[in-house]
Amino acid sequence: MARLAVRIARTAARPRAEGPATTAGGAPDGGAEDRGMPDGRAARAAGTDDQGAAGAAAGRRRQLRTHLGVRSRVTVLFGTGALLLSVAMGGISYFSARHFLVNEQESTSVHTAVANAQSVRSQLLADRLGGRGPQPQTVIDSLDAPAPGSVLYYGGRRYATSISASTVVPSALHSLVGAGQPATQNFVLGGQPYIAVGIPIPSLHAQYYESFSLADVNHILRVLLLVLLSAALVTTVLGIALGRLASGRSLRPLTSVSRAAMAIAGGRLATRLPEAEGDPDLAGLTTSFNRMVDQLEERIEREARFTSDVSHELRSPLTTLAASLDVLESHAAELEPAGQRALVLLAADLRRFERMVGDLLEISRSDAGSADVTLEEVSAAELVRRSVQAGVRTLPQDMPRPAVETDAIEGTHLSVDKRRFERAMANLLENAALYGGGATRVVGEPGPPGPDGRATIRVAVEDEGPGVAPSERARVFDRFYRGQAAGKRGAGTGTGLGLALVAQHVRLNGGRVWVEGGPEGRGTRFVVELPVADELPVADGLPGGDELPGGDRTERGPEDRTERGPEDRTERGPEDGTERGPEDGR
Amino acid sequence: MSSRILVVEDDERIRSSMRLALEGEGYDVDEAGSGEDALDRFAAQSPDLALIDLMLPGMDGFECCRALRRQSAVPIIIVTARTDTHDVVAGLEAGADDYVTKPFVAKELGARIRALLRRARPAEEEPSALTFGDLELLPDQGVLRHKDGSEVHCTRTEFRLLCELASNPNKVLSREQLLDRVWGYDYFGDGRLVDVHIRRLRTKVEPDPALPRHILTVRGMGYKLVP
Repeated sequence: MARLAVRIARTAARPRAEGPATTAGGAPDGGAEDRGMPDGRAARAAGTDDQGAAGAAAGRRRQLRTHLGVRSRVTVLFGTGALLLSVAMGGISYFSARHFLVNEQESTSVHTAVANAQSVRSQLLADRLGGRGPQPQTVIDSLDAPAPGSVLYYGGRRYATSISASTVVPSALHSLVGAGQPATQNFVLGGQPYIAVGIPIPSLHAQYYESFSLADVNHILRVLLLVLLSAALVTTVLGIALGRLASGRSLRPLTSVSRAAMAIAGGRLATRLPEAEGDPDLAGLTTSFNRMVDQLEERIEREARFTSDVSHELRSPLTTLAASLDVLESHAAELEPAGQRALVLLAADLRRFERMVGDLLEISRSDAGSADVTLEEVSAAELVRRSVQAGVRTLPQDMPRPAVETDAIEGTHLSVDKRRFERAMANLLENAALYGGGATRVVGEPGPPGPDGRATIRVAVEDEGPGVAPSERARVFDRFYRGQAAGKRGAGTGTGLGLALVAQHVRLNGGRVWVEGGPEGRGTRFVVELPVADELPVADGLPGGDELPGGDRTERGPEDRTERGPEDRTERGPEDGTERGPEDGR
Repeated sequence: MSSRILVVEDDERIRSSMRLALEGEGYDVDEAGSGEDALDRFAAQSPDLALIDLMLPGMDGFECCRALRRQSAVPIIIVTARTDTHDVVAGLEAGADDYVTKPFVAKELGARIRALLRRARPAEEEPSALTFGDLELLPDQGVLRHKDGSEVHCTRTEFRLLCELASNPNKVLSREQLLDRVWGYDYFGDGRLVDVHIRRLRTKVEPDPALPRHILTVRGMGYKLVP
């Protein structure tokens, strides 16, 4: 019965917060205190924060996802999960413990108060019957109630066990109990929480109040809260660590996949992932990845082989054509004028066709990864002079010869594939002849140190033609790119592969090539940058420049001859050249 | 009297056009459609030079090369459409003196043939005998022999290469110089020609070809002969 009354009474007491504690105890939050209110508020506040955080996170998730990697996201997920889980578990534990402890304390308090009230009543009745007259002060003093003690309203007066006790009856409680309703109320006094229990004693028109300290319960709850929060913190940290570990472990296969993909992109097509045995989750990835690479490799090889085969197949009829044409040309004088003109046309396009087949073959070899580089240590100046000499020989007779300036690189040595360098220079000179009115100058000069710290030289081929628009400069090295020369595919045009091959030859020589505006903003300047040889030979044992038996050289040059060097001189070209060659765009 | 050239090529049209072109250059031409055929013709006609296509049905060009080399020091030029690394080097190893790639221009082929058919040395202030180790080189007679008189067989190209080195003892000759003087190539000639021939020479003149004592490689520069 007391329980029910108490509950009703408390609901009535709650809305009006001001209690005696406010007036007497001076605690600012006195009457409003529900039991454990500070904790409750904290818990509620935390809950709101969680929701707020969740909402904000939802808003920011898209943004976050772009910033965080999978690993970080998994870690965050694990951390958040652990935090939420531990907060939830801790909350449940805390609130059930609090509920239990508080109820226990409350019912103990009510029982004690009721017992004391009965004792007060019986003593007062006994006093009255005994004729001594009631001694309320004596009665409550004899109760041995702990501080702040008990208060008894009897006969319009107030008796308290202590001075402080007289102040501890909240007025809301007093009015309720005065109306004959037993009730309880929490309050704070001197910073300590208490519960006041009021028991009406109707037979005497008296009210008995007793206050009990809640400090013990609150202390236990506070310790519990601390423990639970620490546990939540530890759990969250563990969750984060676990997330990091788990994501790292589960992403490890991805790391190897990425490494393999990089290797494949770098041209090492034989790269495969090791079979993940006994791991059904990974086996699928590994198998499909490897299958993809298989197909990719097969496809690339098939394409390269096709180009190569086509070029080779074209060579047999070309050989017949070229040999027959030679015979015809040696008898050209015996032909009619029309026949001679036809022969000239035939010869010009046959040469071009030969060049194209040769260039295609050269490019397909590189695509197939079989481009070998024969590096030799040579004098840079000598090489440039010789290459220009050989290059201009294939140009039309009326084309102006470029001035060659190699003084600045005299004494410098390169480790290059001579054939490739010569082809690159020949193609640059041809390009200048076709689109720039002929090269005016070929300059060799020292360049800045390369990315690997090696010294470099630069060889620039300059012309004074219309120039290359800045927007086209990166693309002129693409295959069959003709830029503004498009449509001019007349008699004088090249194969469309010349500059692509320049880029390829230079890249295989460990250098890079680019195009810039000519000096004084006129014309074009193609620059080839090559690393200088590491060790210099003692002397330059090359023959002088003018005694070349070059008369029987043809325009094709020894372009298909050197593929791999003998003995100690063979090296693979740097597959990952720094300059963006046409191959890198694949 | 014009030189006789044996053309070994299975594609009849190419063979015919080569015959036309070579006859235009003033050579007499024999044709063979296979390796076996080539050996027969060689025995019958004893040509001055053989042009062998590497891709032949049946006995391939390499085998044909080796077979010819076993019985003769005749200059051999291999013709290859496959310019893959191995073909050229393997062809040279099989005994070829030089190579051309398809499609070739008759003038270029003519130049290669002329270079190989040249006499061993233009007679300048040529010493009559060069010696190194226990070997004796007689440039005028085209003879390489041991001091005890036994002859060492080598091809004309090998002999000329050895003459170049031996007439400049202890002097480094670059690959370019050797290519120029022996094969008639310019600066951009294929250095592998020199390397393969040097290797072959070593097997003939060095007591231990793996540890040469006379024909030495000078890294990054070329070769020299130490008597």
